[in-house]
Amino acid sequence: MDKSWQVTLIYFITHLGLIFFMYPGDIIASTEDGHWIPIVLGFAVHLGAIAVYMKGLVRLGNRDIVSMYLGMGKGVSLLFLLPITVYFLLICVVSVRCLSEIMTVVFLSSTPLWAIMFLFLFISSYIAFKGIRSIFRTGLLIGCINVPVILFFFSASFQNVDWRYVYPLIGKSSFLTNPSYLESFFVFAGGFLFLGFTQPYVAYRKRHIVFGALALLPFFVFSVYIPILTFGQATASTFNFPFVVALDTISITWIMFDRITLFLLLSLISFMMLYLSIVLWSAMRVVNQSFPSLKPAYILLAIPLFVFIVCLYIPDWKDITEFYWWGTYLRFYILVAVPLSTCFFAGRIRKRKVGL
Amino acid sequence: MHTLIQEMKNKFSGDDDFFALEETFMDSRVVLAGFNTLLDIATTKLGLQAYIEAAVLTGTARDELKAELGEVCDRSDSAKARLSLLTGKLLICFEDDGSCVIMEPTPKPLNRAIEPPINENVFQGSLNSFTEDIHANIGIVRKQLLTDNLRVGSYHIGTEETTKISLLYYEGRTNMEFIHKLVGQIQKNRSRQIENLQQLSKKIMGFPSWVLISKFSQTELPQEAANFLRKGRAVLFIDRLPIALVVPSLLWDVFFLDSDRNLPLPLMLFLRALRLIGAWLTVVLPGLYVALVSVNPEVLRIEMAISIAQTRVGIPYPAIIEMILMLFILELIIEASIRLPKNIGPTITMVGGIILGQAVVQAKLVSNLLIIILAATTISNSTIVGLQHSLSLRISKYVIVIMAAIYGVLGILEGLLLICAYVASLNTYGIPYIGFSSKKDEIKHG
Amino acid sequence: MKRTLKRGAGLSAVVGLLCALCGCWDNRDIDHRSLPVVMGVALHDDLYEVVLQIPETSQKGIDIRIISQTGKTINQAVDKISERMETSVDLLHLKLILVETEYAREGLTDSISSFMRARDISPKTIIAICDEKLDPFFDYVASSMTPKGTTLYDCFEKNAGWNPQMSLTRIWEVYRSIHSYTRDVAIPIIKSGRSGTIDYLGSALIKNGKMVDRISPEETLLFNSFNGQSAQGKIEVMDHASVLILRSSVRHRSKFAHGTPHLDVRITLKVSIVETKGSVTSKLVKKEVEEILAKRFDGMLHKVQTQESDILGLGQYFRKDIPRAQLRNWRTEYLPKLKVDFKINTIIQNDGNTKLT
Repeated sequence: MDKSWQVTLIYFITHLGLIFFMYPGDIIASTEDGHWIPIVLGFAVHLGAIAVYMKGLVRLGNRDIVSMYLGMGKGVSLLFLLPITVYFLLICVVSVRCLSEIMTVVFLSSTPLWAIMFLFLFISSYIAFKGIRSIFRTGLLIGCINVPVILFFFSASFQNVDWRYVYPLIGKSSFLTNPSYLESFFVFAGGFLFLGFTQPYVAYRKRHIVFGALALLPFFVFSVYIPILTFGQATASTFNFPFVVALDTISITWIMFDRITLFLLLSLISFMMLYLSIVLWSAMRVVNQSFPSLKPAYILLAIPLFVFIVCLYIPDWKDITEFYWWGTYLRFYILVAVPLSTCFFAGRIRKRKVGL
Repeated sequence: MHTLIQEMKNKFSGDDDFFALEETFMDSRVVLAGFNTLLDIATTKLGLQAYIEAAVLTGTARDELKAELGEVCDRSDSAKARLSLLTGKLLICFEDDGSCVIMEPTPKPLNRAIEPPINENVFQGSLNSFTEDIHANIGIVRKQLLTDNLRVGSYHIGTEETTKISLLYYEGRTNMEFIHKLVGQIQKNRSRQIENLQQLSKKIMGFPSWVLISKFSQTELPQEAANFLRKGRAVLFIDRLPIALVVPSLLWDVFFLDSDRNLPLPLMLFLRALRLIGAWLTVVLPGLYVALVSVNPEVLRIEMAISIAQTRVGIPYPAIIEMILMLFILELIIEASIRLPKNIGPTITMVGGIILGQAVVQAKLVSNLLIIILAATTISNSTIVGLQHSLSLRISKYVIVIMAAIYGVLGILEGLLLICAYVASLNTYGIPYIGFSSKKDEIKHG
Repeated sequence: MKRTLKRGAGLSAVVGLLCALCGCWDNRDIDHRSLPVVMGVALHDDLYEVVLQIPETSQKGIDIRIISQTGKTINQAVDKISERMETSVDLLHLKLILVETEYAREGLTDSISSFMRARDISPKTIIAICDEKLDPFFDYVASSMTPKGTTLYDCFEKNAGWNPQMSLTRIWEVYRSIHSYTRDVAIPIIKSGRSGTIDYLGSALIKNGKMVDRISPEETLLFNSFNGQSAQGKIEVMDHASVLILRSSVRHRSKFAHGTPHLDVRITLKVSIVETKGSVTSKLVKKEVEEILAKRFDGMLHKVQTQESDILGLGQYFRKDIPRAQLRNWRTEYLPKLKVDFKINTIIQNDGNTKLT
């Protein structure tokens, strides 16, 4: 059955969850002016990667990429599956630790960190445990509940905007080598990988994903520009999470709650949970297909446990950013190698079939 | 004496209402057997007499007469004879050739009439409701659906104690794969005995028993049942149960009622939106109170924060205990008012009203706002369709209350996510619970 | 059976764990927290003096409690107060921060940065300057204003006591002005009045977190309408009449030539005549409104240029003309050179209920 709509929605909302936390800070730190250039550049890379990846997946037909790599022999699967797994684990560690840190900074000052991390991991592994189809359906429900909230507060966040802060429009190209800019690719890499995993369970039309990606562009742009337009570049660069602070400056007087914009953040966190559950599930698939003797349920218990322990051993924010930075090389490897190799191998498989 | 009759006599020797009368039909001796509590023996005999006289007049042969009287059955089939006796049939045994006839007698009037529904209210819709008799129920459905595509399959379940269940579906609109699966399950497990719906869903259908939401949607209303059939769902009837069980149950049954469609479209949308909001409020409100009072007071406006603090002055326990305590009392009141007979029921309402409305607040046990929240929760809980659904909703709000007490507003949203994930993970033979149609999802994996 | 047992055990373990978690860390209920609404800050001899105005809830109603402490940092002072109270002090609901004039002149940068950093203080908190010592001011508030949860804060609440002559500045705006190259803010100045009122004295010009000059309430009105805040409802008093401003709209056009910025400003006012003295014509009223406003604007612009404090955000209009590296010097290099062509167009929308002769 065609599930394009669901897959696109999941793709959309998981990226929404990813965008608003670290991305604005990274982009603002990476350049002083003309922020739209790095955003659009990063987005173009993302779009290109997706287009190639989708092309490969179409050629691959009704299989997932894990079985494709495994079918290509031990060397190939080690070359690709090992980095993918490590990268998934890294994503889990970084996002869980990051989110819980953000939560204690902006919201729950007296709740211990481990409790928040436990909650995040518990929920995402529970959802992952229910299987990919269930994840998609959860996404549908939670999307119906949360997307209106998010759109409402997102449009409300233009309240304090001074459009003249847009200028100057043209900036230098020095951002290309800025570590913050390279880190910002966290948003672009990794979020799309799951599209190659869903194949035998959920079929979808690949073109829809590109539309979904295009719909994300305004969110990429404004997640960066809302803090800039509210505060100006000089001020926005002093914040760790510019978008979160920008949200805090909004006052909507006719609602009975005061810091209402926190609801936007928390809805986004629900999306992040969904993203984490997809990552956990994908990691489980890789491990499970490489070692079929391991039971999926045990893998799904072991991975979050491992992540939890690693998270507990990260003491402070500096180490998180370090972790974040380590992931960069892997990130670019994934962003480039996985789509290209999928396209290449899928083409070969197809040719072989035709040849027979 | 006839062996079958002897067997039956032995079997029912402890039953005073079992009778075996010897009679003479057309010069041959017969024995009539049955239960006089289930059939009206005098009228039945009169009817028999009329048959025989007619047969004598027209000169019908005896075998033809047998066929006319009812179903001729083999004498060795004692299980069938037993079942027919228990279901209120008359057994006629001919002594000379040993053959038996199972005849439909005049039954004792043991069924209530078709009445308006009791557990569901109808707003601008047909007022009939299902009754205990399975035949009457199927008949009512046939009256609602004048089509030759309605299929009815009946099965007797259980060996020691037999229950009759019927499966109804609309051919051409129902997913036949699903029907085959259902029928297969029933056939496979037909020897198992069921006493209640829990056993039906576990032993016969093979559903897990630890679920918060029943796999059957229940309805008392023929109009709704007919509509479910039209939409391609299957309906199960169980004898002696005045409810239609609709499989697969879907999330939207909780909010959408067919009789809504008798209203103009905007009004229908309004009603359905109300139910959705009601369900949402039920789940969120108690948790929101706990979260705002004890974990995230910064979300409240200052004016409200101060007035809530004012009403909470002197309350000796934390908000979560306060909330759970009052929710518990409320659950007790709801349960008590179901249990009590109708003429004592108002007492509970009154006493409950006094407790909840005035006394607890005056005694400084809970805050004013909590009472308002509680009332709003209860009211909104009742907006959704179906009692068993509102029960699942009532339980799920505790998840949110507890999570809100730990994590505040974050806990509420994550709790919602958990509930969504749970609801989304449900399926009936691969048909997802939150789907709009009863089309099957792909095969279940991982 | 075994499975049921296992499940039961798991379920009870989860429930037990949850119950244990509930009491695990101190989530204090709202009635055990003190929620100060107003905080006064002053700096004397390197010691911060912090005054908190806390609404005390009792069963009869609300009292205002005023507590002051000194400390090396603001936080230390707050902690000292918290120690002495029977409930813990939470700054989550702080709505108004009052700063003594001397402290404002010395510079607010450190406090504002720490307010922004602190999780509990909302960036939306309003800031104002108190033109007298804090202690007598708060004594006055406690003794002569009606005790209400949000006393004092209501003066600034937009849908309560605020009026268009008041500037309304929030902490994040002050923070922005500290870091931004092209934008400063004006902070309202208040003082205790007589018979239970608060007197509003005008606004302070802030430059890099320091108070450098002040402008009058009338100038603040102009400042508000220049910044697009609706100045509706204000009665403008002149020699011959007073008018009610119904709507104001501003149009800017900027030009940058030979290192000198030029700005054209057109303000369109729609007014209604409220009160007249003697016989006036609408033409006269119109002329006078325009003259007075132009004079006021010139006065304000003069202050802005001499103090190099860009409260009008004039630099914003030249962001596209000046490269970023030079924008840094906007206040010192370009602002004093700025030429503004200010024109007011008044439309008398109606004369009220009676005809104007």
